[in-house]
Amino acid sequence: MNLFDLARQTVEQARRLGAEEASVSVSRSAELSLMRRAGKLEQATQATSRGLSVSLLVDDRFSAHSTSDLRPEALREFLERAVAATRVLEPEVERRQPPAELCGRGVSEATLDCVDAGYADLPVEARREAALALEAAVDALPDRGRILSATMHVGDSSDQSVRVMSNGFEGARASTGFGAGVEITLEEPGGRRPEAMSWYSAHHRGDLPASGFIAKEAWDRAAERLGSHAIASGRYPMLLQRQVAGRILGVLGGPLSGSELHQQRSFLAGRLGTQIANAAFSLTDVPDIPRGLGSRPWDGDALVARTMPVIEAGVLRNYYINTYYGRKLGMAPTTGGRSNWVVKPGARTPEQILRDIPRCIVVTGFLGGNSNGLTGDFSFGVQGLLVEHGEVVEHLSEMNVSGSIEEVLGHLVEPASDVYTWSSLRTPSLFFDAMQFSGS
Amino acid sequence: MNHFLSFGIDAELCRRVLAVALSRGADDADLYFEHSGSTSVALSDGKVNRASTHVDLGVGVRVVVGDQVGYAYTEDLSEAAMIAAARVAAEIAEGTRRTAPVALAPRAVADRYSAQQPWEQVDLQTRVALVREWERRAFAADARVIRVETSLGDSFKHILIARPDGRLVYDYQPMTRGWVVCTAEAAGKKESSNANLAQRAGLEFYTPERTDRMCRKAVDDTVALFEAVKAPAGEMTVVLGAGSSGILLHEAIGHGLEADFNRKGISIFADRVGQRIAPAGVTVVDDGTLPHARGSINTDDEGNEPQRTVLVDDGILRGFLHDEISARHYGVPVTGSGRRESFRHVVLPRMRSTYMDPGPYSPDEIVQSVKRGIYCADFANGQVQIGAGDFAFYVRRGFLIEDGRLTRPIKDVNLIGNGPDVLATVEMVGNDLKIDEGGWTCGKDGQSVPVSQGMPTVKVSKLSVGGVSA
Repeated sequence: MNLFDLARQTVEQARRLGAEEASVSVSRSAELSLMRRAGKLEQATQATSRGLSVSLLVDDRFSAHSTSDLRPEALREFLERAVAATRVLEPEVERRQPPAELCGRGVSEATLDCVDAGYADLPVEARREAALALEAAVDALPDRGRILSATMHVGDSSDQSVRVMSNGFEGARASTGFGAGVEITLEEPGGRRPEAMSWYSAHHRGDLPASGFIAKEAWDRAAERLGSHAIASGRYPMLLQRQVAGRILGVLGGPLSGSELHQQRSFLAGRLGTQIANAAFSLTDVPDIPRGLGSRPWDGDALVARTMPVIEAGVLRNYYINTYYGRKLGMAPTTGGRSNWVVKPGARTPEQILRDIPRCIVVTGFLGGNSNGLTGDFSFGVQGLLVEHGEVVEHLSEMNVSGSIEEVLGHLVEPASDVYTWSSLRTPSLFFDAMQFSGS
Repeated sequence: MNHFLSFGIDAELCRRVLAVALSRGADDADLYFEHSGSTSVALSDGKVNRASTHVDLGVGVRVVVGDQVGYAYTEDLSEAAMIAAARVAAEIAEGTRRTAPVALAPRAVADRYSAQQPWEQVDLQTRVALVREWERRAFAADARVIRVETSLGDSFKHILIARPDGRLVYDYQPMTRGWVVCTAEAAGKKESSNANLAQRAGLEFYTPERTDRMCRKAVDDTVALFEAVKAPAGEMTVVLGAGSSGILLHEAIGHGLEADFNRKGISIFADRVGQRIAPAGVTVVDDGTLPHARGSINTDDEGNEPQRTVLVDDGILRGFLHDEISARHYGVPVTGSGRRESFRHVVLPRMRSTYMDPGPYSPDEIVQSVKRGIYCADFANGQVQIGAGDFAFYVRRGFLIEDGRLTRPIKDVNLIGNGPDVLATVEMVGNDLKIDEGGWTCGKDGQSVPVSQGMPTVKVSKLSVGGVSA
């Protein structure tokens, strides 16, 4: 099946059925995942998959549809129903596609470098060996005997997709993905069985860390949870570890979006150009990072991907505005959703920062919690470490951190230098001079 | 079964594919065919301005050898594609013993959720009229409402499960969910909240009484936030309101009793069957059989009959939620808890409708017994760590309890505790068990399944409230 042919045919068919605009994406993917436990391959999944999605404008009425049933007669029936469903809605001219000149590729596939050329020839045996290597690395840990259970995960995928729009845009994308992880459960007196996972993913197989590194990290994180408990409620300085910083920074996602601004559910409404964070904090949306996990040549509306400052030295510079909400809000569209988020690092390592602080909570993980985008208030369960002058003195659990995101960003006084590159959130660990924790 | 004939699937074809799945000496196998569809319409800015439909079709082939699972799926229901998937799944087995599947015979299932007005027969104009009506009711309920968004989703799933022991089980699983989001403004302050309803039912679910309750709840919950203060911080007594506080059971104990975690020894409850884990009077049930409940099923996704499973009986831990693999591991009967998100996913032991049986106290008596604490009325989400037993749930709206009375409203606070510790401190159980009609979805290992939960009013201690220090 040629993906472009199917997408073009579907656009044409939709137009023949009465749609004045249509945008069609067709994708094909392959996935393989292996899980080993207790010396055995416990689970192996392998599949190829496909799907088609279409959004329509019929008499200025908008709808969106998807199907995995690509048999020609089923697809025709699907489209007929989709067009008919659209007609019963109310018109909204804001849903029209963006002008063709705003759409296109902002960065070449070669620069994005999201395809590992070795994927096609990778034998299943190589994946089995990768899982075995992780298991061997766990078995080689000095304290192997204290592990109650260890589970090894190895997986990879390949995705191809094309998009054809009636405004003339056509584009194709491809990517490969590889992942490796270890989950370790320990046991402590009293019956608690603290668990932790170390998981890495990358577009290129060679970019994954060594098995020994992953096994050691899973061990360290589980061991950090042994004997954990709550300490007294109060205000403490906080070092937020880079891998988990997304839980706090993610609170910004909703309030920055055009939909929440339009629905008057954003505490960031009317704040463009004003200080919303400490001057130490800068956040940029960067879509063209080679091999970046959030990299892309165009966005959800097929708008050309461009680097966009979000927060510059604490000042709010841009919202996430797609074509539709741009028209609704009378604002120029930026982009509808984030690509890579890059936080500007500082000069010192987390260790250097901690050495100078008499008493600090290092947050290493979150448990539950949520936020209110209209007020910016949040409350999250946390796990972590109590650190005095750089020395770990307690393992913490059953605590919450609460506050308003704006107050918190004001206290973000120093980003560390240790930028994390294994995620679309590229942030260093972040140091806050005071946060509200509740515990015992 | 009749449904799948139109795709060219019949009992003999299933048997041929199963034979390939078993060809390398597996213990067992299954085919899980799925044809699903969904429709939704949504209203915002005073217009019904968005519709969407989704269709999914495919088959998953699972091959089981002891605790080991080989899995493959395809969206192509041609015999060649299914045989190819069966070959891939069979690679988990490395033997030569060949068992042949026996002739397949359809098996009838219970009927827990037949729709009087199935969504396939409801035209889109009727759906459009419903979301308009919800919008009208929400605006009419309070003059401070400035924005309303409503949506109606409905879906169906035809599933067919074929097993080498001859079982051929078909089920039709309908679902609907209504949603109202509301934003209100007063004295320059804005607040927003939402309410939703879900059931395995047709159009008849949306009675005027239910619809009114949903719209009123969205508005009442929103305007209540104007008065709300930040919650206090630290460990305190918590009263959980009847209904959606079943989220506490789901997180504090439900996940920890899913037998796959226990088979691997990674749940804090792994060695506690037969032991007292809660005071007398605490009985916790996970039930797949409640009529029309979102978490109910006529068959589980391995073709087994769902049970009403008593997990904790008068404070004693009785057992786990099993799929076939864990039941075989423990040598106990299955509980009909094997579920999967779709044909793209392996079966796991999962919850269905989890609730606590009622106790002797009136809700008022329970609140009156608390000197200082908080009362939880509305919940958003929760999470648990299976091994450590720590769990959390997020309270959207509640009240302070001062000297036995509900006083100031509170909002947006995370509560955290340890499952066994909290269960051991259930102090009072109310007589007002209510199964929540909200659209709860449970996530595990990247798979989402619909669930229900329920609770009488309950008083517990040993929960840490993530508020602000006084």
